[in-house]
Amino acid sequence: MSEGEMAIIKPEMMKSYIWLETADGSIQQVEQEVAMFCPMICQEVIQKGVGSSKNYAISLPQRVNPAMLSLIFDYCRFHQVPGRSNKERKIYDEKFIRMDTKRLCELTSAADSLQLKPLVDLTSRALARIIEGKTPEEIREIFHLPDDLTEEEKLEPLKNTMDDPRIRLLNRLYAKKRKELKEREKLKSIEVEEHVDERSVDDLLSFINGRDPKVVKTSKSKKKNKKRKEHKNGTSNGTCEASEKDSHNLHSKSQSAEIIDKTASSLGDVSNLLSMEDDIFTPKTEFEDGYIDDEIDPALKEMLDREVEDFARRLNSSWVLSIGQERQPVHFSINGNGTTRRLTGPAAGHK
Amino acid sequence: MGESPDFISDLPQSIIENILTRLSIRDAIRTSVLSSKWRYKWSTLTDLVFDEKCVSPANDRCVVETNLVRFITGVLLLHQGPIHKFQLSTSFLQCRPHIDQWLLFLSRNGIKELVLKLKEGEFRVPSCLFNCLKLTRLELCHCEFDPPQYFKGFSSLKSLNLHQILVAPEVIESLISGCPLLEFLSLSYFDSLVLSISAPNLMYLYLDGEFKDIFLENTPKLVAISVSMYMHEDVTDFEQSSDYNLVKFLGGVPLLEKLVGYIYFTKYLSIGDDPGRLPITYIHLQTIELYQLCFEDADEVLVLLRLVTHSPNLKELKVSSSPVQLFPLEEEGFDLFERDYFEYKLPSLETMKITDVSGIKNELEFLRFLLGTSPVLETVIVSSSLMEKEAKMDMVIELLRYPRVSPRAQLLFLQD
Repeated sequence: MSEGEMAIIKPEMMKSYIWLETADGSIQQVEQEVAMFCPMICQEVIQKGVGSSKNYAISLPQRVNPAMLSLIFDYCRFHQVPGRSNKERKIYDEKFIRMDTKRLCELTSAADSLQLKPLVDLTSRALARIIEGKTPEEIREIFHLPDDLTEEEKLEPLKNTMDDPRIRLLNRLYAKKRKELKEREKLKSIEVEEHVDERSVDDLLSFINGRDPKVVKTSKSKKKNKKRKEHKNGTSNGTCEASEKDSHNLHSKSQSAEIIDKTASSLGDVSNLLSMEDDIFTPKTEFEDGYIDDEIDPALKEMLDREVEDFARRLNSSWVLSIGQERQPVHFSINGNGTTRRLTGPAAGHK
Repeated sequence: MGESPDFISDLPQSIIENILTRLSIRDAIRTSVLSSKWRYKWSTLTDLVFDEKCVSPANDRCVVETNLVRFITGVLLLHQGPIHKFQLSTSFLQCRPHIDQWLLFLSRNGIKELVLKLKEGEFRVPSCLFNCLKLTRLELCHCEFDPPQYFKGFSSLKSLNLHQILVAPEVIESLISGCPLLEFLSLSYFDSLVLSISAPNLMYLYLDGEFKDIFLENTPKLVAISVSMYMHEDVTDFEQSSDYNLVKFLGGVPLLEKLVGYIYFTKYLSIGDDPGRLPITYIHLQTIELYQLCFEDADEVLVLLRLVTHSPNLKELKVSSSPVQLFPLEEEGFDLFERDYFEYKLPSLETMKITDVSGIKNELEFLRFLLGTSPVLETVIVSSSLMEKEAKMDMVIELLRYPRVSPRAQLLFLQD
């Protein structure tokens, strides 16, 4: 009865409303023309017939919270009026997106789930303007991004960061550590009879390419000729498997010690070898600086030595001895995960 | 809810790509060092636009070039998924083999829009380009275009833009015919081109160069035409043709909405035997802009009159008078404005602008004609190339004399 009275009293106030329910359970109503401006709501109304009453409110996606919804409807309320000029709309848009970055992101997400493309484009433009021209640190700060990449990962070849003084410093640091490492191993290897390998790159490459049949067989499953690194990986993994299957014992501890030492000493050389390969295969010389030998930590080096020793024990001794001072692909298996990353970072290859 | 403080990395990839495409490619790739989640977000972008700004500037050209090559190769290698648009504008690249390689890569990755703006010094487009059958847009500058025998055309191409391309004329014709969906065609910087264009879906035509002869054979859907026509000294070739160029060129474009002509375009249209009447009415033509029209040449003025009187919905007319005559003219005895032209009405003409007026009889007569036949005319802007104030004054006085059919017509004189 009272509803009927109300209807008589204010007939001109009778507008159609659409009922909407946000993910947190709160229900609200919005003028129909405003809500229908959103394609997703439009679809729900037309296809499923919901939204006409409180009990049949349209459930909105989770990414739309009440605060964002009200912002979106402000936008819709303005733009659904047909008579506005393009200039008016632009001015409104510029004012509308002035909000803090967090809300901007939330708004983008909400607009996207309601399929309101003009608003998504507007907010994306604003976000792009924020990102444009800023340094990574600034961007991380604005968006609260975790700085969880290693230095190595950051040295993506595309960055053209050869000019960056920090990168140059890092490179110098690496080079210095590499040199130190090499020095230390040279001292150790003085006692060893066999000399540091001085064979040419071609010889080494041909070895790796399969001079030793055992190595090749076990790595058949891996793609051999794709990339040098991957091949070496495959080789090393295959080798480990083979050795485990064969379960030969090393002749003596001393020999294994030699192997370990040689492995360690070859680390420096290997990295040079790898860098040379890089020159051969790709023009990206930045690679060189990023990927080579990040064993800068002596403690890490100790750990690596231990790992090498472990693997060396399980190696096929005859294979090891026959090649003499070959490059030990076992060096790559330290990585463990068979990725193209040849050497472990400070995270020691554990992921 | 587990709100992480990072509020952007978990947005859907479509939004991230929406944002990244609005950045320069260099900025977009730099996002790869922001965090582990961002490392490869850029790598699925489908539109790649490269120019010298991608690499740090340097004084040595070779350094910039090497860096740019490295950058582009690196991007392509790290990229994942299809590449729909590839644009390269640079004046630096000398290393053709790299571009060949990139094009080969693109041809295998579903390229749809390809823009190559290179420097002078012919780059020969490799044959892999002709295997990119999904192309919808092709723009080439300073290239040599020589398709293989088996090439029949790009069946999906909608937009073709060739600028200063070394190519045989038959190739262009067959290329145009071989692209049935073509909607936009731009040919610029060509020498002595004889062209017959057959493109059933063509809507926008832009020509700029020295064309000997153009025949719009089959272009029924053309909506806008813009031609800058340069002419060779020996125009005797033209005089031999018996077809009226106006009909040859504009005879088959009933949907035309905008016509723009520069330099010798009107002269070109005026060549040929005058059939008397124009067989076509341009119902949709709303804008005519004919620049560098020589008013002393009655044939050219006739072209202008014909176009204007056959366009009942013409709203805007812009004309400029050419002070320079390439070809000596005979004295025209008859007064072409005394024909039945005054029976015509220009029912929709609202604005008219005429520049470089020097007070020649035909110019003034034309303005008189307009003022007397345009009932809804609002603005007539006149600017003169005359230097002496006296002559200007005389012209203004004369123009003010003319009766105006439209009560709202305003005559505005621009001072340069």
